[in-house]
Amino acid sequence: MMVAAVIAAALIVGGTVGYLLLKEDEPQTLKLATTTSTYDSGLLDYILPVFEEEHDCTVDVIAVGSGAAITLGQNGDVDVLLVHSPAAEITFVEAGYGESRSLVMYNNFVIVGPTEDPIDTMSSANASQAFQKIYDNGTAGNATFISRADASGTYTKELSIWATLGYNKTEVMAFPDSWYIQSGQGMGAVLDMAEEMDAYTLSDDATYYQRVSEDLIPNLNMTYSGDSALFNQYSVIPVNATMWTHVNHTLAMEFKNWLVSDDGQDLIASYERYDMQLFFPNAEGYVPSTESLPSIQTFGAVCATVPAVRTGR
Amino acid sequence: MTDAISLKGVSKRYKDVDALKKVSLTVTEGEVFGIVGPSGAGKSTMLRIMDLIEPPTEGELFIRGERMAFSGRKADLARRAIGMVLQKPVVLNRSVANNLAYALMIRGWDEEKAAEKVYAELKRLGLHGRRRKNARILSGGEMQRLCFARATIHDPGILLLDEFAANLDPANVALLEEQVKDYMAQDRARTAVIVTHNMFQARRMCDRVALMWDGEMVEVAGRTDFFESPKDQRTAAFVKGESVY
Amino acid sequence: MVGTASELLEVTILSIYVSGMATILGSAIGIPLGALIGLKEFGGKGAVKTITYTLYGFPPVLSGLFIYYIFSRAGPLGEFGILFTPTAMILAETLLVIPLVTGITITSVVEVDKAIKDTVKALGATPKQSVLTVMREAWVGLVMACMVGFGRVIAEVGAAYLVGGNIDGKTRVLTTAIMLETRMGHFEWAMALGAVLLTVALVVFFFLRMLQEKEML
Repeated sequence: MMVAAVIAAALIVGGTVGYLLLKEDEPQTLKLATTTSTYDSGLLDYILPVFEEEHDCTVDVIAVGSGAAITLGQNGDVDVLLVHSPAAEITFVEAGYGESRSLVMYNNFVIVGPTEDPIDTMSSANASQAFQKIYDNGTAGNATFISRADASGTYTKELSIWATLGYNKTEVMAFPDSWYIQSGQGMGAVLDMAEEMDAYTLSDDATYYQRVSEDLIPNLNMTYSGDSALFNQYSVIPVNATMWTHVNHTLAMEFKNWLVSDDGQDLIASYERYDMQLFFPNAEGYVPSTESLPSIQTFGAVCATVPAVRTGR
Repeated sequence: MTDAISLKGVSKRYKDVDALKKVSLTVTEGEVFGIVGPSGAGKSTMLRIMDLIEPPTEGELFIRGERMAFSGRKADLARRAIGMVLQKPVVLNRSVANNLAYALMIRGWDEEKAAEKVYAELKRLGLHGRRRKNARILSGGEMQRLCFARATIHDPGILLLDEFAANLDPANVALLEEQVKDYMAQDRARTAVIVTHNMFQARRMCDRVALMWDGEMVEVAGRTDFFESPKDQRTAAFVKGESVY
Repeated sequence: MVGTASELLEVTILSIYVSGMATILGSAIGIPLGALIGLKEFGGKGAVKTITYTLYGFPPVLSGLFIYYIFSRAGPLGEFGILFTPTAMILAETLLVIPLVTGITITSVVEVDKAIKDTVKALGATPKQSVLTVMREAWVGLVMACMVGFGRVIAEVGAAYLVGGNIDGKTRVLTTAIMLETRMGHFEWAMALGAVLLTVALVVFFFLRMLQEKEML
């Protein structure tokens, strides 16, 4: 028994020491915290190898919920964040946890609902009006809405739209659960729920398309999109190196610079999945090399094609 | 003559049962001392106290005139000079040879010397052929003979036997009694305390006999006196086989 | 995202390494601890046993949180930079193994026949020798303790995800990969990963069972 304990201890200690030593010799590592929806879109698997090659390093991606990513940044457990929760990001930077926050790209949130769109959100003039319809129909018992109800950027966006109608967070959380469901789940799971319950929800487009392309949500369709209020802005934020001296600040800044550089931005724009461009680079000063129209056009194209994919509904 | 074992006012209480009530007795070196009596009389408890396995609630134990503590290095050493055999054969989950060698190995004996002694003993027991097999395969009688050999292989000066042949058939009983006699004959200083409910065995083997009844020592006498002219009526009843067990 | 055979091999090996090490380490602590608790008399023994058994239900994610708090850069042992490495995962899983192995060891040694314990003592074993001999008699139970410990950690995901980060090529194990694939709606591939996990468990338990049933000499 003693022998086993000694061997086990030796292995652990040896492994740790070896790991720590090897860490020095290995190519540099950059710890990046991002959200699960960003990671699941596949963008990082596409663009990171280019960065890793050019800078002879490895990027370790830790994909967690938006709130968790920011917490990791606050605690100095990662070197850089790539998130899409502007209000929280600004608080993060003002509190001194991050520096050189830079806009990187955007995609969109879309309102998703039953294919027939019984409450006609599609004809809404803007997102607020669509939400108003959801509220009116919900309280009347004709519609259900499923909310992320967590610390995600999607939920923050949802709250901002409710705010335009005069509802603050406390009031939103008090919406009756007869029509307003606070799930606390990830985006994929929420879409699955909406599919089961013929409900409306707010989703980021990447997760929506991923679900559509794998034919996981045949009952749902994108019912409203295009309002600039539904922009989903992504930013990159290196963690404050004065507060956390151990972070790989040089590499984090190189990463940030690369993301907002023309090369990085073009690369992001070239990422295609489900036969469409998912992310639209909008770093300061970036001019797209090809005329990229507001995403509403791409959405329009999808709106036209997706119903065609559905048969028998 | 030295006192091998001496108990003074020993009591043992378990929760609300008094197993032993202020018992005092002395066992002389070189004798075979029998303790008889009905079940629950406290005989096994007394043996466990003598073997320093269980401390008394009150009273004192002396081994060769020295007052005994029940835990600590001295107790460990004293226990090592005593051998005990229980009623139920208890073998460790290992080979026959390793069972026999256990007492030697824990005393730090040299492996070769231990092997020599063990093999010699195995041959005497007729178990040499099965020495490498797990001890569980032995029959009841074989196991008990093994247990006896195991308890005496380190040549303890005091032997404590708790109904050691109770579950065996007459042939094995005879074999075991033979083993005891042989062991005692090897050294006149060896002392044995035998707990038995078998009157005949007590008469066969013991120099002096004591009757225990309900936690008390009722009568102690030499063999002849005990069986032929007992003083206490309970002894008389027991000897005649009339007691209710 | 798991898709290639080499990635599958990678996560499988890491799963075995992390959970295996946690089981070894947890057993190295839990078995002696359980033997001591089971065989020694001391004040508060009942309370210690109850607490041990209660910890069977310790949520893995809580173990992960605990390790996170200690090894986060913001935490007391942050400077070792262990977070998001397999070592952190091993530590978190070891915390889950210890109560299980301890508890089952306690039961196993307590169950060893009193007659054996008395015989061993009567044969002259010191307290330490007694404990070791009784532990050997409880062999079947001790191996069972390790099996249960391994089973718990090979299957857990909360701690592994939290302190490991599910980093592709570094800290991704079978369970966190399953969670990732499930999250993305790849249910079939997730099930396939699950089947691989069960196969790993099958092989390990097969060997442990052989160990358990070996003839003691």
